[in-house]
Amino acid sequence: MISLPSYLFLSFALFIAGIAVMVARKNIIAIMLGIELILNSAALNFAAYTRFANDNIDGHLMSLFIIVIAAAEAAVGLAIVIRFFQIKETIHIDDAAQLQN
Amino acid sequence: MDFTISTVAPIVLLPFLAFAINAFIVKRFTTLGVILSCASILGSFFYASRIFFHFLNVYNTDYVIHKTFTWFDLSYGEFPFKLDMGIYIDNMTATMLFMVTGVATLIHIFSTYYMKDDKRYGRFFVYLSLFTSAMLALVVSENLLSVFIFWELMGFCSYSLIGFYYEKEGAGNANIKAFMTTRVGDVFFLFGILAIWSVVGSVSFVDIYAALGAGKFNGLYALGIPLATLAGASIFMGTVGKSAQFPLQVWLPDAMWGPTPCSALIHAATMVAAGVYLSLRCYPLMEAGHLTYVIATIGGITAFGAATIALVQTDIKAVLAYSTISQLGYMVLGVGVGSYNAAFMHLITHAVFKACLFLSAGSVIHSLHDHHTHAHVQEMPRMGGLKDKMPFTFLAMLCCTLAIAGIPFFSGFVSKDRILGDALLMALHNKWYWIPTVLGFGGALLTAFYMFRMMFLTFFGEPRDKDLYDHTKKETLSWNRNVPLLILSVFTLGVFYAGSLSGQGIVKVAHEKYEWFQTLIAKPHVETFTAKAPQAFGWTDEGSMTVSEKSHYDPDHGLSEEEAHHVHHVHHIGALVSIVIAFSGVFIAFMMYITRKWNPGFWVSLFSGWYRALQNKYYFDDFYIKGLIQKGLIPLNNLLAFIDMGIYDRYAVDGWEKVNRAMFTMAKWFDNIIVDTVAVDGTGASVRFFNVILRTIQSGKIQFYFIMIILVLTGYIWTLNI
Repeated sequence: MISLPSYLFLSFALFIAGIAVMVARKNIIAIMLGIELILNSAALNFAAYTRFANDNIDGHLMSLFIIVIAAAEAAVGLAIVIRFFQIKETIHIDDAAQLQN
Repeated sequence: MDFTISTVAPIVLLPFLAFAINAFIVKRFTTLGVILSCASILGSFFYASRIFFHFLNVYNTDYVIHKTFTWFDLSYGEFPFKLDMGIYIDNMTATMLFMVTGVATLIHIFSTYYMKDDKRYGRFFVYLSLFTSAMLALVVSENLLSVFIFWELMGFCSYSLIGFYYEKEGAGNANIKAFMTTRVGDVFFLFGILAIWSVVGSVSFVDIYAALGAGKFNGLYALGIPLATLAGASIFMGTVGKSAQFPLQVWLPDAMWGPTPCSALIHAATMVAAGVYLSLRCYPLMEAGHLTYVIATIGGITAFGAATIALVQTDIKAVLAYSTISQLGYMVLGVGVGSYNAAFMHLITHAVFKACLFLSAGSVIHSLHDHHTHAHVQEMPRMGGLKDKMPFTFLAMLCCTLAIAGIPFFSGFVSKDRILGDALLMALHNKWYWIPTVLGFGGALLTAFYMFRMMFLTFFGEPRDKDLYDHTKKETLSWNRNVPLLILSVFTLGVFYAGSLSGQGIVKVAHEKYEWFQTLIAKPHVETFTAKAPQAFGWTDEGSMTVSEKSHYDPDHGLSEEEAHHVHHVHHIGALVSIVIAFSGVFIAFMMYITRKWNPGFWVSLFSGWYRALQNKYYFDDFYIKGLIQKGLIPLNNLLAFIDMGIYDRYAVDGWEKVNRAMFTMAKWFDNIIVDTVAVDGTGASVRFFNVILRTIQSGKIQFYFIMIILVLTGYIWTLNI
């Protein structure tokens, strides 16, 4: 049986990968993908903890909620990206810096 | 007839109204102002005589009109602090009102003659009106405080009138001297009022009598002295200042710098009488304070000492001034020996004959005009033989001189003799009273002498200044020059004041009302005194006429037959002695100045040291100026000036400046460094500093924000784990 640390290690790897994608990539779509990775790592964490807890499905429910929220977030984010692209003709993240200073 | 505010107030208010109007109009409408003044005092005299005759009609010793209103009331809980003002009219006040208004009216009329050619003719009447109203207000005053107020007002008027000819240096000095000398007494007077207030809680005469009767002063001490003595002595010091008693008599002779009618009004008839009036009003207090012997001695010293100084004066007004001091001494002596009635009678009779004497002197002085210096002549050595030139003035002055000298049938004899008789009575009981008594009798001799010396030098003999005599016009009877004198001289007859012509009851008269003065003026007996509640002011006066019983003259003064026999016996001896003394004084003057058998120069050379002392007024002025003022007051002033300038100014004021300067430096540093640099500029700098940081952070790059979020969250979690 796969132990809890293995799940947590996978989740951690996913989280770090997500962070890295979010920080390193300049494409907005890619950053959103990073966000998805982070959310998934969180969902995996919940599922893993519940797996090793007795008679409790709260974590599973939480994972389902995260999946739903991720879908909604992706929809909103993509809508923003499309709007952004319509205005700026690009999806490079550094062009969305009008609020600086 | 009721005596409410409507009938009493005009007495005081009419002259005051005349003053208030005249003060504004008199410069332009001089004649109108003068007429207004004279008319107002005449109206005042009318109202005063109504009251006077009302009192004569009621004829009861205990009858008073006492009305008050509350001036202010600051009572708090059990601490009463309430001051009433009002009028208190008893027989004494009514007599006083009648005398003051009557004399003042005649003096106003005379002034229209005397001051006619003066360049400040109108202003003189302004002062006269204010003065008269102040005196009348003082007389009707119900309490000591309002007495004090009007007392000071009279002091001011006296100051203005003495310095009326302010161009002359002497007049300017004299009014300051008069004001400052009376001030010494006034300070004590005010102190006395406070002392009474502290015990009685009221300054009303009625309350004071009631408190004395109830023995509130018993056992109260201040500085180891009984409080009654302290209060009585303080109030008597007010009398000493105002009535020019020893040792504060120095101002009155100098007061002769004023115009002669003002001398008649202020320095003979009314103002100086106010002092005696006050000590009569406060007589029970003086008695309770056991001050009578001190008062009698001061009166005796004043009566005798001033009479001796009058012997050597050559100025006609100076003689009268010293005779005024001397006669005031008799009044005070009368107060001291318990001769309440006679002291007050002497006040009235003296007011009449002394006003007449001053007016006569004014009449003489005004007529004698020196063509070389264009000044009026007051020196008696330049007069002489004037009785042919001015017969009416001579007649009036002769009557008054007879009165003041104490010749029988004249008013001065009646009153002065009663005082001396009472003094003799006291002396027989208590040997210490021989001092004031002998001084009083000696003063009577001198009075007769110097008054007749003045008469003989002025009106008899050969004119000593022929040029002056020839230039003097013969007197014709004029309404404003001679009529006031003649009216006053009629009232120098003793019959108006005493029923018997001699004043000693030797001649019995049919109707007892002729003894009105003896009957009505009675000293307040505090033991039996019942304070009647004063009435409020109003337009009706039901309570006034309730007294129906008339007082009777008791020739035995409430004594047993044996005692009364003794008293009358002593009084008869006193009367005989005074008659002898008066006539011998006149005789000496006659021998010296008419027949010239006795040479005054012989006496001068015999008593040359004393003569010099008399000419220098016993060195009182020298003592006060060189001794008290130059040795005492001026060094004291210098010391105070040194304390003020050398210590207070230098250390306290200048030191405070230094402290302020140091504080200023510190405050300036604090302001510059702390407030400006640190607080104000520091705020700006901190804003600028955080601005730089926050600008840098707010890059607009989402990934940077994200890194910040991560870092913060990591740090947060890290903190939780620790």
